[in-house]
Amino acid sequence: MLNANKIVTALEDQGVTHIVGVPDNGSRALFERLWDHPQIEVILTSREGEAFGLASGLYLGGATPLVLIQNTGFFEAGDGFRGTAYNMGIPLVMLVGYRGYKTMEPGAPRVDTAATFFEPTLKAWNIPYTAMHSDEDITQIAAAFAKAQETSLPTAVLIVPETV
Amino acid sequence: MLDKYTCLKKLAAKRTDEVFVTTMSVAMPWAELSDSPLDFAHVESAMGHAADFALGLAIAQPKRRVFVINGDGSTLMCLGTLVTLAQRPAPNLTMVITENGTYEVTGNQPVPGADRIDYEQICRGAGIQNVYTINDAAEFDAQLDRHFTGEGPQVFIWKIEKASEPVPKPKLPIRERAHRLREALTSG
Repeated sequence: MLNANKIVTALEDQGVTHIVGVPDNGSRALFERLWDHPQIEVILTSREGEAFGLASGLYLGGATPLVLIQNTGFFEAGDGFRGTAYNMGIPLVMLVGYRGYKTMEPGAPRVDTAATFFEPTLKAWNIPYTAMHSDEDITQIAAAFAKAQETSLPTAVLIVPETV
Repeated sequence: MLDKYTCLKKLAAKRTDEVFVTTMSVAMPWAELSDSPLDFAHVESAMGHAADFALGLAIAQPKRRVFVINGDGSTLMCLGTLVTLAQRPAPNLTMVITENGTYEVTGNQPVPGADRIDYEQICRGAGIQNVYTINDAAEFDAQLDRHFTGEGPQVFIWKIEKASEPVPKPKLPIRERAHRLREALTSG
């Protein structure tokens, strides 16, 4: 489990102004902490591709957005990601829920292709990423912001266990 | 029916410090009328995502009017965005849907449902209250000021004549255009 409050603190430390995305079970607690946050506005989109366009507009307008989606929606967002945040050179950080991670363990009764397709797709789309498995990994959010600024390109931090 | 070139000229003549996001068959005609850092041709990008992009600009820049001029084909690619525009209303956002039922830059193939879609109903059903369908030049002239001053999110559906446009090729790469826009919006 990942402590949602600690993630919120990490986002505050980076000056995040807007969370743009679509909730899932893994990010449920994180969204619940953010709904009434006094400085960070949550903007829901109808599909994940919109999140990248909207966040790109926010950034170009002077805000500091973060995209929060699940890996299934990440796949759907392919052209939105490519054509906005990536092609525009936006230093955008995304937190992406890693649905199906445990189904890749040996002996799992079924495999979730949302998990098996995920990291190969991140690599194919040239997205640097790290994964948060425990609270100690939440520091990777700051590193992702630094990497995005350094490259002026999007980066990802993967949410492996659920947030609580 | 409306002549889109005439409509764009009238918008350009009235424009001061507004942001203009243009797409496909409007991008190059607009570029002939205006070369402002506050123009952003949403091409070489992701078709269908100009409206969500413009919403982000409008939220980040609440004191500045943001226009997005979308085609009907682009609008259809991401209809859910109309719901997103309604659920996070930006009072400074003006969206235009240029409707002629075809994909102009790929040879005028019909868009899905070209003869039966009612965009005004779709927008209203999505929760956008300020929606105006414009059928002719007189109606356009009567609504021109509202494009700049009406409370957003507002949508104007321009019923335009069919035309043919080449594939848009802006002078600058998209990355340079994007950062030029950011500089214009955030400096000073």
